[in-house]
Amino acid sequence: MSDKKQSRIRRHRKVAYSLLSLLVLTLVLPLIPYAVAEKDETAGKVFNPGTELWRDVRQRDRDVIGTTQMKSVDAGVLINEYGETWRHFRMQQLVPYGAALMGIVLSIILLFYLLRGPLRLQEEPSGKKIERFTVFERTVHWFTVAIFWLLALTGLILLYGRFVLIPILGADGFGITASACKEAHNLFGPTFLVALVLLFLTFVKDNIYARGDMLWLLKGGGMLGGGHVSAGRFNAGEKIWFWIAIIGGLVLSVTGLILVFSILGQSREIMGLSHVLHGIVALVVISVSFGHIYLGTAGVEGTLGSMTTGYVDEAWAKSHHDRWYAEVKAAEDGSDKIVDEPGLATEGKS
Amino acid sequence: MAAMKFYCDAERCIECNGCVTACKNENEVPWGVNRRRVVTIKDGEPGERSLSVACMHCSDAPCAAVCPVDCFYTTDDGIVLHDKDICIGCGYCFYACPFGAPQFPKEGAFASRGKMDKCTFCAGGPLPDNSSEEYRKYGANRIAEGKLPACAEMCATKALLAGDADMVADIYRKRMVNRASAALGKGFQLREQNIGSGVDLKGKVTN
Amino acid sequence: MKLTKTSDQISQNNKSQTVSAGHGRALSRRGFLRNSGLMAGGAALATTLSPTMMKKAKASAATSAEGDTTEVKTICTHCSVGCGIIAEVQNGVWTGQEPAFDHPFNLGAHCAKGASVREHGHGERRLKYPTKLVNGKWTKISWEEAINEVGDRLLQIREQSGPDSVYWLGSAKHSNEQAYLFRKFAALWGTNNVDHQARICHSTTVAGVANTWGYGAMTNSYNDIHNSKAILIIGGNPSEAHPVSMQHVFKAKEENNAPLIVIDPRFTRTASHADHFMRIRPGSDVAVIWGMIWHIFKNGWEDKEFIRQRVYGLDEVRQEVAKWTPEEVERVSGVPEEQIYTAAKVMADHRPGTFIWCMGGTQHTIGNNNTRAYCTFQLVLGNMGVAGGGTNIFRGHDNVQGATDFGVLSHTLPGYYGLSDGAWKHWAKVWDVDHEWIAERFDKEQRAGEYFGEEGADDKIINGMNSKGIPVSRWIDGVLEDKNNIAQRDNVRAMVFWGHAPNSQTRGVEMKKAFEQLDTLVIIDPYPTVSAVMHDRTDGVYLLPACTQFETYGSVTASNRSLQWRDQVIDPLFESLPDHTIMYKLANKLGMGEQLCKNIEVKNDEPVIEDITREFNKGMWTIGYTGQSPERMKKQQQNWGNFDYTSLKAEGGPCDGEFYGLPWPCWGTAEMGHPGTPNLYDGSKPVADGGLTFRARFGVERDGVNLLAEGFYSKGSDIKDGYPEFTDKMLKKLGWWGDLSAEEQAAAEGKNWKTDLSGGIQRVAIKHGCAPFGNAKARTVVWTFPDPVPIHREPLYTSRRDLVEKYPTYEDRKNFYRLPTRYESIQAKDYTADYPIILTSGRLVEYEGGGDETRSNPWLAELQQDMFVEIHPRDANNNGVKEGDDVWVEGPEGAKVKVKAMITRRVGEGVAFMPFHFGGHFQGKDLRSKYPKGADPIVLGEACNTAMTYGYDSVTQMQETKASLCRISKA
Repeated sequence: MSDKKQSRIRRHRKVAYSLLSLLVLTLVLPLIPYAVAEKDETAGKVFNPGTELWRDVRQRDRDVIGTTQMKSVDAGVLINEYGETWRHFRMQQLVPYGAALMGIVLSIILLFYLLRGPLRLQEEPSGKKIERFTVFERTVHWFTVAIFWLLALTGLILLYGRFVLIPILGADGFGITASACKEAHNLFGPTFLVALVLLFLTFVKDNIYARGDMLWLLKGGGMLGGGHVSAGRFNAGEKIWFWIAIIGGLVLSVTGLILVFSILGQSREIMGLSHVLHGIVALVVISVSFGHIYLGTAGVEGTLGSMTTGYVDEAWAKSHHDRWYAEVKAAEDGSDKIVDEPGLATEGKS
Repeated sequence: MAAMKFYCDAERCIECNGCVTACKNENEVPWGVNRRRVVTIKDGEPGERSLSVACMHCSDAPCAAVCPVDCFYTTDDGIVLHDKDICIGCGYCFYACPFGAPQFPKEGAFASRGKMDKCTFCAGGPLPDNSSEEYRKYGANRIAEGKLPACAEMCATKALLAGDADMVADIYRKRMVNRASAALGKGFQLREQNIGSGVDLKGKVTN
Repeated sequence: MKLTKTSDQISQNNKSQTVSAGHGRALSRRGFLRNSGLMAGGAALATTLSPTMMKKAKASAATSAEGDTTEVKTICTHCSVGCGIIAEVQNGVWTGQEPAFDHPFNLGAHCAKGASVREHGHGERRLKYPTKLVNGKWTKISWEEAINEVGDRLLQIREQSGPDSVYWLGSAKHSNEQAYLFRKFAALWGTNNVDHQARICHSTTVAGVANTWGYGAMTNSYNDIHNSKAILIIGGNPSEAHPVSMQHVFKAKEENNAPLIVIDPRFTRTASHADHFMRIRPGSDVAVIWGMIWHIFKNGWEDKEFIRQRVYGLDEVRQEVAKWTPEEVERVSGVPEEQIYTAAKVMADHRPGTFIWCMGGTQHTIGNNNTRAYCTFQLVLGNMGVAGGGTNIFRGHDNVQGATDFGVLSHTLPGYYGLSDGAWKHWAKVWDVDHEWIAERFDKEQRAGEYFGEEGADDKIINGMNSKGIPVSRWIDGVLEDKNNIAQRDNVRAMVFWGHAPNSQTRGVEMKKAFEQLDTLVIIDPYPTVSAVMHDRTDGVYLLPACTQFETYGSVTASNRSLQWRDQVIDPLFESLPDHTIMYKLANKLGMGEQLCKNIEVKNDEPVIEDITREFNKGMWTIGYTGQSPERMKKQQQNWGNFDYTSLKAEGGPCDGEFYGLPWPCWGTAEMGHPGTPNLYDGSKPVADGGLTFRARFGVERDGVNLLAEGFYSKGSDIKDGYPEFTDKMLKKLGWWGDLSAEEQAAAEGKNWKTDLSGGIQRVAIKHGCAPFGNAKARTVVWTFPDPVPIHREPLYTSRRDLVEKYPTYEDRKNFYRLPTRYESIQAKDYTADYPIILTSGRLVEYEGGGDETRSNPWLAELQQDMFVEIHPRDANNNGVKEGDDVWVEGPEGAKVKVKAMITRRVGEGVAFMPFHFGGHFQGKDLRSKYPKGADPIVLGEACNTAMTYGYDSVTQMQETKASLCRISKA
């Protein structure tokens, strides 16, 4: 191994670690306030003679759960200490950091595109098509995409609409929009879990860690260095995306269900915490999805076809998923997997 | 600018729930929605105290801060109100409120809570004062009639005070002076009699 | 029925909260304060609680375009505090309720019940039309049918079994006029089987207190607590039962440094505000009181001069008290010496102190002993007859004091005249009905026999007219007891529940049996009540809808003896009718309508209330219900803001010098203009200005000892010493006969202050500064009672078998209020092994009485949705019970109730507590389906009294509900 190669690996490793730590930080940072109890009094208010009693109530060591004749959730809680923390998380952390995260990811993609441009095929398209995704697989994918984006957009509107849309639509107009978004988000939310299960069942078998995935990762999928890295049907990057989508989606679904079925009598704290997880994970998944979209469309030449027509060029397969190509080729004997379709060949060139 | 505030004097609150039903009566709030509630801490133990809680009309209201549709507003009297035509019933104000003030008329699947409802300091809402629509959506508008909230006006022991923060503080200060002098006087007399140091619950039934 | 503020009236200066504009209604703070009247309102809320109240802003925006809002002044119908209410009525619909800031009792304040009374004007869960049970189905009938059928059935029973077989159960919810008419009704029917809730709430108080110093009522007032230097509350939880009274208690506590002492088995919400709390074993009141007096005597803290002048029999008390050493007190009550000493010292150091008690003291087999012990305590400290002192007995229902005063009781006629021939003749004269005619109505030929030992001699024929009737606490025995054991011709065969909930009485299982054994059951009430459902009858039940007190008008007597005029807020809802209308209709059917309303005008079958008031004004001389004419009461109601918050005296205005509500005794005729008596027995004022002495009710001497006051007399009295009650002869002897006018002389000849219908004797006595009823000592020995000096006796179902020998209960009695009554035969058996936990009961703030009315009010019902039992953590753990579990609470008589467990330290170890307002479940069975459609209360639950046991006071037949036994097991 040459020095040059070694240093490249080291560099890739560094980048991977820094990305990973950034991700961890994004996830963990907002949680810090929950670990470190905040005793910050909201200052600057009109003098309230009850402050002392309230403070006593707030500073008790054990849970101050009083009794009351009200039957509603948490009615016995005199001071919802958690509320301020939650507010702080949502307004000071989720909103700005989420926007920043999405902005940064988009900027990186844009930068990458501008600097490197789309990944070209290493050899000319052969014109020979090879089936990458069956109709069923594509249906599952697009079904998930539709639900995901419905939820992501409505969710983002609820999170950022107050800052972005109210100036445009006005309070009343946005109220209607937001109301529709909320209803759509809550009604379609649970179907996302269905999509997620289908997605999982459909693709899990090809997304299990295989030999070579680590190498692929170390090489940054070939993106950073140039030159393709050997991969199976799905490369390690796609596999990571798959698991982010599945695990993230699962977290979103569970927390979402907790929020949507408030009839079960869960406390405000549980719901608030669910909201925190829901928000963080949603923004992370959305941000990562930008990368996926980029790579599936403009980022890598010839990829889009796999999810539209279901077919890719043999050249594409050879260069990006050589092991998968080899498998397909091996299985091809006796079967008719490769179809000659002139119409498609031209598309591959474009 | 006036700042309307509630203050509940725990030394006087006897958990009679008069404020709760006064509110129900005045605003015809439906079953399950409690704009005001009384919470007792250390129930049945020495030091038991009760407090009547509702929207405290915070100066920097967390509900208003987190509302995704920005439906809250503060009146010139410092009363925090909201617009039910804009409210989407997301429940965020409920998570953020320190006092558990926001209430929702329904509890259905798919988070169908209905429009949020909370104490208005008996000041109605953004609709024309004392219109039937305002009454239906927000309840009474006593402030427009020159009255204070029904809960405080009807408090059995005058424990719950409502009004301009300065005046409420003033009333309470007077009470505190009274109590301090009482405590001093009583303290001297009672200390030698072993009382005033709290309530002894040890006297138990022997059987 | 519901109507809210419907009209749209948008004034151009709307929206006080327009965020953008600084104009319009967006007021500056100064402007706001001026407009709102907050400046004045601030004072209302201030610690001084000045009565100069916030003026209600009559902003034009407040009124609606269609239908003017009219304001009606009325009085809360829940408890005896008598809070003022301002009702806003629009087009005959009760649309708003405003605080009556200038009302001297409550300053606009309300508890949960008072703040929700407007629901009465909307309530759907009412009895809507006359209904009868036909083959187990509720069937609508007309009023005419109802009156005819009920009347025929009652007349038939009268024919077969005599008038005593119909029981007339009245109500503390009636107005004074209705209560009076009801008692008259029963009298004209010819029975003393008439009673109401007072029997089971404060009858032992009335008996005990009246036999100590003359009158059986709260001596001072809620407002007078402002003057107290110490406050002692025993067996009472005003924070829940009389929340607005706590306003007055706090005023004294905060401004007078008055220590608040609470003595109770439970650490109640009142106790949580106390300076000193003593947890006692239920039923050990006498021990605790004597224990406190023991310290007072030992340290010489008693008021010797007061005792010399005004107290009789204290030496006998001393002998009894001497037995109650601190050790013995602790052994019996569980309270250690230092706590008892502290309480005694605090009360001795802070005089005048007031002494407050409620049902925790009264509802015992020795209830009358308890109440007399309390009185003795106040006499020993000289706290009687002074502002800030007194025995402030908080009565229960809004008009239980009035209904008691009007003798809706089986042992007296209105005004505590008793049942003697003299009393009957007095009232016959007032009613203008022939005494002989009335006497004919009664059962005369009652069975004589060897059985009756007590009230009648063996072979004496008992006169139905003069013998006490069956009390409400025992009506079930009147039905179930062997006919041969009852001192009347036949069993009770028909019950008329005229505003009474059965779940407030004990022994539910037997009650169900009694209900089923009745021939006829009539329920006249705004609500069906538990009476309609707890039995398995299929016919013979009639439900007649009465309207609430907001749908009619009349006077009502608060606990402090003040009479307030209650205006009608709305017309009767549905087909309901006012009680007095129903009385008249039924009386007509029963052939006594003419006698009932002889001097009372009747309009559309409705006797005119004011005429009834005037009629009782003519006869209620004993307790001074004579000066409160309808005109005076109405004038006071219109000007209630003129009365001082502490003294209750009007300063200026049309009622200048009068006390609010003309608290009885308001002597003489209305024309005499007596201001009422704010504090009883207060000699610092002339009688003409509300002063008084102790009543000379028990003779002038006993065993050679003078019973009249010695050296004490009220201010301005012409007789500077004790004197007996005034009679015509006494006036003549004093040479004051000439002060009577010729007419008065004619009327007063041969009469006394109680029977002189002209009021002349009273007028002249007062003119000379004398109390018409004499000037005597209070007695601490009631020689006519089973225990002349109050002594401790263990409850029938006691947890302390070791004390039974030393403190046994009474012997069984054969004829006590017409019924055999058991004491020692029950106590003889030891139940403690199987039933180790003491069971006691009490109130919740949200509900009232049997709770049918309040449990039907959604604003209240939401606050208490489940019947529960309070259990100490130790007992819960021992019985494997967790918070919220369903548990069976089973009493030693085998009855059990299924309730939710509340684990709390409010109760002490070994004590369980249940509230008594629930009903509609019976031993685990939900009876909701048995209510007439749409008339079932929102919240149902087990009645605690289902499991409560036998036990009745030795003087008044008060039921024992505060000390029984139970066992608790997981359901």
